[in-house]
Amino acid sequence: MLDRLKDIVRKTSINVCIVNCGGCNGCDIELVACLSPRYDLEQYGIYLQNNPRDADVLLLTGAVTEQWEDKLHRIYTKVPEPKVVLAVGNCPQSGDVFAQEGGRVSAPASNFIPVDAEVCGCPPRPDEIISAVLAVVPKAMVAKGHENKKIKDNDS
Amino acid sequence: MSSIIWYVYEFARKAWVKAFADAKSQHEIVEKPARFRDFPHVIKENCIGCGSCTASCPSPTAIKLIRDKTTKEKEGLTYPVINKSGCIRCGFCAEVCPSDPKTLECGENHYIETEFTIIPSKRRFIVDDYLCIKCKACMKECKVDAISDINGHIVVDPLKCIACGDCLKVCKVKGAMKGIFIDNLEDQKKLINLIVSSLEEYIENQQDKLEILPRESLLQLSLPLSMFWDEALKIIPDAEIAHEIIGNAVDRLKIRVITWNSDKCTKCQMCVNECPIGAISFDEEKDTIVRDKDKCCRCSICYQTCPFAVIKYFHAKFVLDVDDDGNEEIFITVKPSQIDHDFIGSEHHEG
Repeated sequence: MLDRLKDIVRKTSINVCIVNCGGCNGCDIELVACLSPRYDLEQYGIYLQNNPRDADVLLLTGAVTEQWEDKLHRIYTKVPEPKVVLAVGNCPQSGDVFAQEGGRVSAPASNFIPVDAEVCGCPPRPDEIISAVLAVVPKAMVAKGHENKKIKDNDS
Repeated sequence: MSSIIWYVYEFARKAWVKAFADAKSQHEIVEKPARFRDFPHVIKENCIGCGSCTASCPSPTAIKLIRDKTTKEKEGLTYPVINKSGCIRCGFCAEVCPSDPKTLECGENHYIETEFTIIPSKRRFIVDDYLCIKCKACMKECKVDAISDINGHIVVDPLKCIACGDCLKVCKVKGAMKGIFIDNLEDQKKLINLIVSSLEEYIENQQDKLEILPRESLLQLSLPLSMFWDEALKIIPDAEIAHEIIGNAVDRLKIRVITWNSDKCTKCQMCVNECPIGAISFDEEKDTIVRDKDKCCRCSICYQTCPFAVIKYFHAKFVLDVDDDGNEEIFITVKPSQIDHDFIGSEHHEG
Protein backbone atom coordinates (compact mmCIF):
# COMPACT_ATOMS: atom_id res chain seq x y z
CA MET A 1 0.00 0.00 0.00
CA LEU A 2 2.70 2.44 1.02
CA ASP A 3 4.85 1.39 -1.93
CA ARG A 4 2.03 2.04 -4.35
CA LEU A 5 1.50 5.50 -2.86
CA LYS A 6 5.22 6.17 -3.18
CA ASP A 7 5.12 5.12 -6.83
CA ILE A 8 2.27 7.51 -7.57
CA VAL A 9 4.03 10.40 -5.88
CA ARG A 10 7.32 9.66 -7.60
CA LYS A 11 5.58 9.58 -10.98
CA THR A 12 3.67 12.79 -10.57
CA SER A 13 6.15 15.08 -8.86
CA ILE A 14 9.54 15.15 -10.49
CA ASN A 15 12.08 17.36 -8.72
CA VAL A 16 14.95 18.35 -10.97
CA CYS A 17 18.23 20.12 -10.27
CA ILE A 18 20.30 21.71 -13.04
CA VAL A 19 24.04 21.05 -12.89
CA ASN A 20 26.16 22.98 -15.38
CA CYS A 21 29.53 21.31 -15.43
CA GLY A 22 31.34 23.80 -17.63
CA GLY A 23 29.12 24.48 -20.62
CA CYS A 24 28.45 27.52 -22.78
CA ASN A 25 25.10 28.27 -21.06
CA GLY A 26 23.07 27.56 -24.22
CA CYS A 27 21.39 24.51 -22.73
CA ASP A 28 20.78 26.35 -19.45
CA ILE A 29 18.91 29.06 -21.33
CA GLU A 30 16.76 26.40 -23.00
CA LEU A 31 16.10 24.87 -19.58
CA VAL A 32 15.05 28.26 -18.21
CA ALA A 33 12.77 28.65 -21.24
CA CYS A 34 10.98 25.51 -19.98
CA LEU A 35 9.90 27.51 -16.93
CA SER A 36 8.29 30.21 -19.05
CA PRO A 37 4.49 30.29 -19.52
CA ARG A 38 4.76 28.91 -23.04
CA TYR A 39 6.24 25.58 -21.94
CA ASP A 40 5.31 25.78 -18.23
CA LEU A 41 7.19 22.92 -16.57
CA GLU A 42 4.97 22.71 -13.52
CA GLN A 43 1.85 21.67 -15.45
CA TYR A 44 3.64 18.34 -16.01
CA GLY A 45 4.56 18.04 -12.33
CA ILE A 46 8.22 18.91 -12.85
CA TYR A 47 9.62 21.19 -10.16
CA LEU A 48 12.96 22.96 -10.21
CA GLN A 49 15.12 22.67 -7.08
CA ASN A 50 18.32 24.54 -6.42
CA ASN A 51 19.68 21.97 -4.00
CA PRO A 52 20.65 18.48 -5.15
CA ARG A 53 19.51 17.11 -1.76
CA ASP A 54 15.93 18.13 -2.63
CA ALA A 55 16.02 16.73 -6.13
CA ASP A 56 15.44 13.30 -7.68
CA VAL A 57 16.72 14.11 -11.13
CA LEU A 58 20.01 15.74 -12.15
CA LEU A 59 19.89 17.62 -15.44
CA LEU A 60 23.50 17.66 -16.56
CA THR A 61 24.67 20.31 -19.04
CA GLY A 62 28.13 21.19 -20.29
CA ALA A 63 31.25 19.28 -21.19
CA VAL A 64 32.96 18.18 -17.98
CA THR A 65 35.85 20.55 -17.26
CA GLU A 66 38.90 19.83 -15.13
CA GLN A 67 37.40 21.41 -11.99
CA TRP A 68 34.24 19.36 -12.27
CA GLU A 69 35.81 15.93 -12.43
CA ASP A 70 35.70 15.21 -8.67
CA LYS A 71 32.80 17.52 -7.80
CA LEU A 72 30.44 15.77 -10.18
CA HIS A 73 30.54 12.59 -8.14
CA ARG A 74 30.10 14.52 -4.89
CA ILE A 75 26.92 16.14 -6.20
CA TYR A 76 25.69 12.79 -7.45
CA THR A 77 26.06 11.23 -3.99
CA LYS A 78 24.07 14.06 -2.43
CA VAL A 79 20.94 13.26 -4.45
CA PRO A 80 18.67 10.93 -2.42
CA GLU A 81 17.83 7.48 -3.79
CA PRO A 82 16.23 6.66 -6.20
CA LYS A 83 17.96 9.07 -8.56
CA VAL A 84 18.06 9.63 -12.30
CA VAL A 85 20.69 11.53 -14.30
CA LEU A 86 19.70 13.09 -17.62
CA ALA A 87 22.38 14.49 -19.95
CA VAL A 88 20.92 17.56 -21.67
CA GLY A 89 22.61 18.59 -24.90
CA ASN A 90 25.57 17.14 -26.74
CA CYS A 91 28.31 18.31 -24.36
CA PRO A 92 27.91 15.71 -21.57
CA GLN A 93 27.59 12.99 -24.24
CA SER A 94 30.51 13.69 -26.54
CA GLY A 95 32.05 17.04 -25.61
CA ASP A 96 30.60 18.51 -28.82
CA VAL A 97 32.60 21.43 -30.28
CA PHE A 98 34.77 21.61 -27.15
CA ALA A 99 36.23 18.14 -27.73
CA GLN A 100 38.73 19.50 -30.24
CA GLU A 101 42.03 17.74 -30.51
CA GLY A 102 44.31 18.84 -27.69
CA GLY A 103 41.23 20.11 -25.80
CA ARG A 104 40.90 20.14 -22.02
CA VAL A 105 37.43 18.73 -21.46
CA SER A 106 36.81 15.30 -19.96
CA ALA A 107 33.58 14.42 -21.71
CA PRO A 108 31.61 12.17 -21.67
CA ALA A 109 30.09 12.66 -18.22
CA SER A 110 29.31 8.94 -18.05
CA ASN A 111 33.00 8.42 -17.21
CA PHE A 112 32.28 9.95 -13.79
CA ILE A 113 28.66 9.21 -12.90
CA PRO A 114 26.09 6.82 -14.40
CA VAL A 115 23.95 8.67 -16.96
CA ASP A 116 20.49 7.20 -17.52
CA ALA A 117 19.23 9.12 -20.54
CA GLU A 118 20.45 11.62 -23.11
CA VAL A 119 18.79 14.44 -25.04
CA CYS A 120 20.56 15.26 -28.31
CA GLY A 121 20.88 18.77 -29.73
CA CYS A 122 23.08 21.79 -29.33
CA PRO A 123 21.03 23.04 -27.60
CA PRO A 124 17.96 20.78 -27.57
CA ARG A 125 14.62 22.57 -27.84
CA PRO A 126 12.59 23.02 -24.63
CA ASP A 127 9.84 20.69 -25.85
CA GLU A 128 12.47 18.04 -26.59
CA ILE A 129 13.81 18.35 -23.04
CA ILE A 130 10.35 18.17 -21.46
CA SER A 131 9.26 15.20 -23.54
CA ALA A 132 12.52 13.38 -22.71
CA VAL A 133 12.08 14.01 -18.99
CA LEU A 134 8.48 12.82 -19.11
CA ALA A 135 9.33 9.76 -21.20
CA VAL A 136 12.19 8.54 -19.03
CA VAL A 137 11.92 9.79 -15.48
CA PRO A 138 8.57 8.42 -14.12
CA LYS A 139 9.24 4.84 -15.24
CA ALA A 140 12.91 4.96 -14.21
CA MET A 141 12.06 6.36 -10.76
CA VAL A 142 9.50 3.61 -10.08
CA ALA A 143 11.79 0.86 -11.38
CA LYS A 144 14.76 2.12 -9.38
CA GLY A 145 12.62 2.48 -6.25
CA HIS A 146 11.53 -1.16 -6.51
CA GLU A 147 15.08 -2.30 -7.12
CA ASN A 148 16.41 -0.41 -4.10
CA LYS A 149 13.69 -1.96 -1.94
CA LYS A 150 14.65 -5.45 -3.12
CA ILE A 151 18.31 -4.85 -2.23
CA LYS A 152 17.31 -3.48 1.17
CA ASP A 153 15.10 -6.51 1.88
CA ASN A 154 17.85 -8.91 0.91
CA ASP A 155 20.31 -7.17 3.20
CA SER A 156 18.10 -7.28 6.28
CA MET B 1 -24.26 30.73 3.49
CA SER B 2 -25.07 32.25 0.15
CA SER B 3 -21.39 32.84 -0.54
CA ILE B 4 -20.63 29.14 0.05
CA ILE B 5 -23.36 28.13 -2.34
CA TRP B 6 -21.98 30.59 -4.84
CA TYR B 7 -18.49 29.10 -4.48
CA VAL B 8 -19.79 25.57 -4.98
CA TYR B 9 -21.78 26.70 -7.98
CA GLU B 10 -18.76 28.49 -9.46
CA PHE B 11 -16.40 25.56 -9.06
CA ALA B 12 -18.91 22.94 -10.16
CA ARG B 13 -19.33 24.47 -13.59
CA LYS B 14 -18.28 22.17 -16.41
CA ALA B 15 -15.96 24.71 -18.05
CA TRP B 16 -14.08 25.34 -14.80
CA VAL B 17 -13.66 21.64 -14.04
CA LYS B 18 -12.45 21.01 -17.58
CA ALA B 19 -9.97 23.87 -17.45
CA PHE B 20 -8.71 22.73 -14.03
CA ALA B 21 -8.18 19.14 -15.06
CA ASP B 22 -6.69 19.95 -18.43
CA ALA B 23 -4.37 22.92 -17.79
CA LYS B 24 -1.84 22.18 -20.54
CA SER B 25 -0.12 24.43 -23.04
CA GLN B 26 -1.50 23.98 -26.51
CA HIS B 27 0.43 21.63 -28.69
CA GLU B 28 0.98 23.96 -31.63
CA ILE B 29 2.77 26.64 -29.59
CA VAL B 30 5.37 24.26 -28.19
CA GLU B 31 6.32 22.33 -31.30
CA LYS B 32 9.25 23.18 -33.58
CA PRO B 33 8.58 25.91 -36.17
CA ALA B 34 9.04 24.70 -39.75
CA ARG B 35 11.83 27.19 -40.48
CA PHE B 36 14.13 25.65 -37.83
CA ARG B 37 16.88 23.35 -38.99
CA ASP B 38 16.84 19.78 -37.75
CA PHE B 39 19.56 17.14 -37.86
CA PRO B 40 20.85 16.65 -41.43
CA HIS B 41 19.19 14.00 -43.52
CA VAL B 42 21.54 11.72 -45.47
CA ILE B 43 20.71 10.36 -48.93
CA LYS B 44 23.36 7.65 -49.33
CA GLU B 45 23.09 7.13 -53.09
CA ASN B 46 24.10 10.70 -54.02
CA CYS B 47 27.41 10.74 -52.12
CA ILE B 48 30.58 11.21 -54.16
CA GLY B 49 32.92 10.74 -51.17
CA CYS B 50 34.66 14.11 -51.42
CA GLY B 51 34.89 14.62 -47.64
CA SER B 52 33.93 18.29 -47.72
CA CYS B 53 31.19 17.72 -45.13
CA THR B 54 33.70 16.36 -42.61
CA ALA B 55 36.08 19.23 -43.30
CA SER B 56 33.41 21.90 -42.84
CA CYS B 57 31.94 20.43 -39.64
CA PRO B 58 32.80 22.50 -36.53
CA SER B 59 32.14 19.62 -34.15
CA PRO B 60 34.83 16.90 -34.13
CA THR B 61 32.56 13.94 -33.37
CA ALA B 62 29.52 14.82 -35.45
CA ILE B 63 30.14 13.45 -38.92
CA LYS B 64 32.15 10.58 -40.31
CA LEU B 65 32.54 9.07 -43.75
CA ILE B 66 32.09 5.31 -43.86
CA ARG B 67 32.32 2.73 -46.59
CA ASP B 68 30.17 -0.37 -46.95
CA LYS B 69 31.91 -3.67 -47.54
CA THR B 70 32.57 -4.35 -51.20
CA THR B 71 30.83 -7.51 -52.37
CA LYS B 72 31.08 -9.42 -55.65
CA GLU B 73 27.90 -7.85 -57.02
CA LYS B 74 28.75 -4.20 -56.42
CA GLU B 75 31.26 -1.83 -54.91
CA GLY B 76 30.53 -0.65 -51.36
CA LEU B 77 28.87 2.75 -51.03
CA THR B 78 30.72 5.62 -49.39
CA TYR B 79 28.47 7.90 -47.40
CA PRO B 80 28.48 10.19 -44.34
CA VAL B 81 26.83 9.22 -41.06
CA ILE B 82 25.62 11.83 -38.57
CA ASN B 83 26.26 11.24 -34.88
CA LYS B 84 23.33 12.99 -33.22
CA SER B 85 25.15 13.35 -29.93
CA GLY B 86 27.81 15.46 -31.65
CA CYS B 87 25.81 17.35 -34.27
CA ILE B 88 24.99 21.00 -33.56
CA ARG B 89 22.50 21.38 -36.43
CA CYS B 90 24.44 24.22 -38.05
CA GLY B 91 23.76 22.98 -41.59
CA PHE B 92 27.31 23.66 -42.84
CA CYS B 93 27.62 20.12 -44.20
CA ALA B 94 24.48 20.53 -46.30
CA GLU B 95 25.69 23.92 -47.49
CA VAL B 96 29.07 22.74 -48.73
CA CYS B 97 27.90 19.41 -50.19
CA PRO B 98 28.85 19.65 -53.89
CA SER B 99 26.98 16.57 -55.17
CA ASP B 100 23.95 17.14 -57.36
CA PRO B 101 21.35 16.36 -56.02
CA LYS B 102 22.67 16.95 -52.51
CA THR B 103 23.64 14.07 -50.25
CA LEU B 104 22.90 16.05 -47.10
CA GLU B 105 19.74 18.05 -46.63
CA CYS B 106 19.24 20.38 -43.69
CA GLY B 107 16.62 23.11 -43.99
CA GLU B 108 17.39 26.45 -45.57
CA ASN B 109 20.90 27.29 -46.72
CA HIS B 110 22.67 30.45 -47.74
CA TYR B 111 23.71 30.36 -51.37
CA ILE B 112 25.63 32.93 -53.34
CA GLU B 113 23.58 33.18 -56.50
CA THR B 114 25.00 34.66 -59.66
CA GLU B 115 22.75 37.33 -61.05
CA PHE B 116 22.79 39.51 -64.11
CA THR B 117 24.87 42.66 -63.75
CA ILE B 118 25.01 45.74 -65.95
CA ILE B 119 27.90 47.71 -64.42
CA PRO B 120 31.12 47.70 -66.43
CA SER B 121 33.09 46.76 -63.32
CA LYS B 122 35.35 43.86 -62.51
CA ARG B 123 33.75 43.54 -59.10
CA ARG B 124 30.29 42.76 -57.99
CA PHE B 125 29.29 43.74 -54.45
CA ILE B 126 27.17 41.35 -52.45
CA VAL B 127 26.24 40.99 -48.80
CA ASP B 128 26.87 37.69 -47.07
CA ASP B 129 23.64 37.48 -45.12
CA TYR B 130 25.14 34.96 -42.77
CA LEU B 131 27.96 37.21 -41.55
CA CYS B 132 26.11 40.55 -41.82
CA ILE B 133 25.34 42.09 -38.42
CA LYS B 134 22.76 44.54 -39.86
CA CYS B 135 24.60 47.64 -38.57
CA LYS B 136 23.54 49.46 -41.76
CA ALA B 137 26.82 51.39 -41.99
CA CYS B 138 26.96 50.53 -45.70
CA MET B 139 23.43 51.89 -46.22
CA LYS B 140 24.45 55.25 -44.77
CA GLU B 141 27.68 55.34 -46.75
CA CYS B 142 26.16 54.49 -50.14
CA LYS B 143 25.91 57.54 -52.39
CA VAL B 144 23.32 56.15 -54.75
CA ASP B 145 21.03 54.37 -52.26
CA ALA B 146 21.71 51.02 -53.85
CA ILE B 147 21.72 49.20 -50.52
CA SER B 148 18.39 48.61 -48.83
CA ASP B 149 16.86 46.63 -46.01
CA ILE B 150 14.35 44.12 -47.37
CA ASN B 151 12.54 42.04 -44.71
CA GLY B 152 15.51 42.28 -42.35
CA HIS B 153 18.08 41.34 -45.01
CA ILE B 154 20.57 43.89 -46.33
CA VAL B 155 20.57 43.68 -50.12
CA VAL B 156 22.63 45.44 -52.79
CA ASP B 157 20.59 46.39 -55.85
CA PRO B 158 22.87 45.57 -58.81
CA LEU B 159 20.96 47.94 -61.09
CA LYS B 160 21.72 50.99 -58.92
CA CYS B 161 25.24 50.07 -57.71
CA ILE B 162 28.09 52.04 -59.25
CA ALA B 163 30.81 49.78 -57.79
CA CYS B 164 32.58 52.59 -55.91
CA GLY B 165 33.61 50.21 -53.12
CA ASP B 166 32.79 52.58 -50.23
CA CYS B 167 30.55 49.99 -48.58
CA LEU B 168 33.45 47.55 -48.47
CA LYS B 169 35.58 50.10 -46.61
CA VAL B 170 33.01 50.89 -43.89
CA CYS B 171 31.91 47.30 -43.30
CA LYS B 172 32.75 46.36 -39.73
CA VAL B 173 32.76 42.59 -40.23
CA LYS B 174 35.52 41.21 -42.42
CA GLY B 175 33.85 39.24 -45.19
CA ALA B 176 30.25 40.40 -44.63
CA MET B 177 30.42 42.74 -47.63
CA LYS B 178 32.13 41.00 -50.49
CA GLY B 179 33.57 42.53 -53.63
CA ILE B 180 33.88 39.43 -55.76
CA PHE B 181 35.22 39.10 -59.27
CA ILE B 182 32.52 37.49 -61.33
CA ASP B 183 33.69 37.13 -64.91
CA ASN B 184 36.47 34.56 -64.37
CA LEU B 185 35.24 32.13 -61.74
CA GLU B 186 36.77 29.07 -63.44
CA ASP B 187 40.17 30.78 -63.68
CA GLN B 188 39.98 31.73 -60.01
CA LYS B 189 39.33 28.10 -59.13
CA LYS B 190 42.34 27.04 -61.22
CA LEU B 191 44.58 29.59 -59.53
CA ILE B 192 43.52 28.60 -56.01
CA ASN B 193 44.00 24.95 -56.93
CA LEU B 194 47.52 25.67 -58.19
CA ILE B 195 48.49 27.55 -55.03
CA VAL B 196 47.09 24.95 -52.63
CA SER B 197 48.56 21.95 -54.42
CA SER B 198 52.02 23.50 -54.79
CA LEU B 199 52.04 24.55 -51.12
CA GLU B 200 51.10 21.04 -50.08
CA GLU B 201 53.80 19.57 -52.30
CA TYR B 202 56.34 21.94 -50.77
CA ILE B 203 55.42 20.85 -47.23
CA GLU B 204 55.49 17.15 -48.17
CA ASN B 205 58.99 17.59 -49.57
CA GLN B 206 60.19 18.64 -46.12
CA GLN B 207 59.52 15.10 -44.90
CA ASP B 208 62.93 14.64 -43.22
CA LYS B 209 62.30 17.72 -41.08
CA LEU B 210 58.72 16.70 -40.31
CA GLU B 211 59.74 13.19 -39.26
CA ILE B 212 61.83 14.47 -36.36
CA LEU B 213 59.44 17.27 -35.36
CA PRO B 214 58.47 16.85 -31.67
CA ARG B 215 54.81 16.67 -30.82
CA GLU B 216 54.46 19.99 -29.04
CA SER B 217 56.53 22.14 -31.40
CA LEU B 218 55.97 23.96 -34.66
CA LEU B 219 57.85 24.01 -37.92
CA GLN B 220 58.02 27.41 -39.57
CA LEU B 221 58.70 27.68 -43.27
CA SER B 222 58.43 30.43 -45.79
CA LEU B 223 58.04 30.49 -49.51
CA PRO B 224 58.47 33.56 -51.73
CA LEU B 225 55.39 34.60 -53.67
CA SER B 226 57.53 35.10 -56.78
CA MET B 227 57.68 31.31 -57.14
CA PHE B 228 54.06 31.18 -58.25
CA TRP B 229 53.75 34.64 -59.70
CA ASP B 230 54.60 33.86 -63.33
CA GLU B 231 52.29 30.87 -63.43
CA ALA B 232 49.55 32.83 -61.69
CA LEU B 233 49.77 35.57 -64.32
CA LYS B 234 49.41 32.94 -67.03
CA ILE B 235 46.03 31.98 -65.55
CA ILE B 236 44.86 35.47 -64.65
CA PRO B 237 46.79 38.18 -66.53
CA ASP B 238 45.53 41.07 -64.34
CA ALA B 239 48.12 41.45 -61.56
CA GLU B 240 45.76 43.24 -59.16
CA ILE B 241 43.08 40.57 -59.36
CA ALA B 242 45.59 37.72 -59.17
CA HIS B 243 47.25 39.23 -56.10
CA GLU B 244 43.96 39.70 -54.29
CA ILE B 245 42.78 36.17 -55.04
CA ILE B 246 46.07 34.70 -53.84
CA GLY B 247 45.93 36.88 -50.70
CA ASN B 248 42.35 35.89 -49.90
CA ALA B 249 43.06 32.23 -50.50
CA VAL B 250 46.29 32.08 -48.53
CA ASP B 251 45.20 34.16 -45.52
CA ARG B 252 42.28 31.88 -44.72
CA LEU B 253 43.98 28.68 -45.74
CA LYS B 254 44.31 25.79 -43.34
CA ILE B 255 45.27 22.47 -44.86
CA ARG B 256 45.90 18.99 -43.58
CA VAL B 257 49.06 17.25 -44.74
CA ILE B 258 49.76 13.53 -44.69
CA THR B 259 53.29 12.22 -45.01
CA TRP B 260 54.04 8.61 -45.84
CA ASN B 261 57.31 6.98 -44.82
CA SER B 262 57.30 3.76 -46.84
CA ASP B 263 60.60 2.52 -45.29
CA LYS B 264 58.84 1.78 -42.01
CA CYS B 265 55.82 0.12 -43.64
CA THR B 266 55.37 -3.57 -42.78
CA LYS B 267 52.52 -4.11 -45.31
CA CYS B 268 50.04 -5.11 -42.62
CA GLN B 269 47.28 -3.59 -44.82
CA MET B 270 45.23 -2.31 -41.89
CA CYS B 271 44.87 1.10 -43.51
CA VAL B 272 43.51 -0.39 -46.76
CA ASN B 273 40.24 -1.50 -45.21
CA GLU B 274 39.87 1.46 -42.87
CA CYS B 275 40.05 4.18 -45.56
CA PRO B 276 36.50 5.47 -46.10
CA ILE B 277 37.20 6.59 -49.65
CA GLY B 278 39.13 3.56 -50.83
CA ALA B 279 42.13 5.72 -51.69
CA ILE B 280 44.64 3.23 -50.27
CA SER B 281 45.24 -0.05 -52.09
CA PHE B 282 47.74 -2.90 -51.98
CA ASP B 283 49.80 -3.47 -55.12
CA GLU B 284 50.48 -7.22 -55.09
CA GLU B 285 52.97 -7.22 -57.95
CA LYS B 286 55.27 -4.63 -56.43
CA ASP B 287 54.41 -5.61 -52.83
CA THR B 288 53.73 -2.02 -51.74
CA ILE B 289 50.88 0.03 -50.36
CA VAL B 290 49.73 2.66 -52.85
CA ARG B 291 47.98 5.85 -51.76
CA ASP B 292 45.99 7.71 -54.39
CA LYS B 293 46.71 11.33 -53.53
CA ASP B 294 43.93 12.78 -55.68
CA LYS B 295 41.32 10.53 -54.10
CA CYS B 296 42.48 11.04 -50.47
CA CYS B 297 40.31 13.39 -48.40
CA ARG B 298 42.85 13.82 -45.55
CA CYS B 299 40.46 12.50 -42.91
CA SER B 300 43.29 11.13 -40.68
CA ILE B 301 41.73 7.68 -40.20
CA CYS B 302 44.84 5.97 -41.68
CA TYR B 303 47.03 7.97 -39.29
CA GLN B 304 44.95 6.81 -36.36
CA THR B 305 44.97 3.21 -37.59
CA CYS B 306 48.64 2.70 -38.46
CA PRO B 307 50.48 0.91 -35.61
CA PHE B 308 53.97 1.51 -37.05
CA ALA B 309 53.95 5.33 -37.37
CA VAL B 310 54.32 5.14 -41.15
CA ILE B 311 51.75 7.84 -41.61
CA LYS B 312 52.09 11.25 -40.03
CA TYR B 313 49.43 13.89 -39.93
CA PHE B 314 50.01 17.65 -39.77
CA HIS B 315 47.99 20.85 -39.79
CA ALA B 316 49.38 23.76 -41.76
CA LYS B 317 48.32 27.40 -41.61
CA PHE B 318 49.41 30.17 -43.95
CA VAL B 319 49.72 33.92 -44.04
CA LEU B 320 50.81 36.22 -46.85
CA ASP B 321 53.08 38.97 -45.54
CA VAL B 322 56.05 41.16 -46.40
CA ASP B 323 59.43 40.09 -45.03
CA ASP B 324 62.31 42.34 -43.87
CA ASP B 325 63.65 42.89 -47.38
CA GLY B 326 60.25 43.94 -48.71
CA ASN B 327 59.60 40.74 -50.66
CA GLU B 328 56.22 39.14 -50.34
CA GLU B 329 56.38 35.72 -48.82
CA ILE B 330 53.95 33.03 -47.79
CA PHE B 331 54.71 32.09 -44.20
CA ILE B 332 53.81 28.54 -43.26
CA THR B 333 53.30 27.08 -39.79
CA VAL B 334 53.14 23.30 -39.58
CA LYS B 335 51.87 21.67 -36.40
CA PRO B 336 51.76 17.94 -35.70
CA SER B 337 48.28 16.63 -35.02
CA GLN B 338 47.34 16.30 -31.34
CA ILE B 339 44.57 13.87 -32.15
CA ASP B 340 45.32 11.16 -29.58
CA HIS B 341 46.59 13.67 -27.07
CA ASP B 342 44.11 12.67 -24.41
CA PHE B 343 43.53 14.39 -21.13
CA ILE B 344 45.03 11.79 -18.86
CA GLY B 345 48.17 11.56 -20.96
CA SER B 346 48.86 15.29 -20.78
CA GLU B 347 48.28 15.36 -17.03
CA HIS B 348 50.73 12.55 -16.59
CA HIS B 349 53.25 14.40 -18.70
CA GLU B 350 52.98 17.57 -16.60
CA GLY B 351 53.23 15.66 -13.32
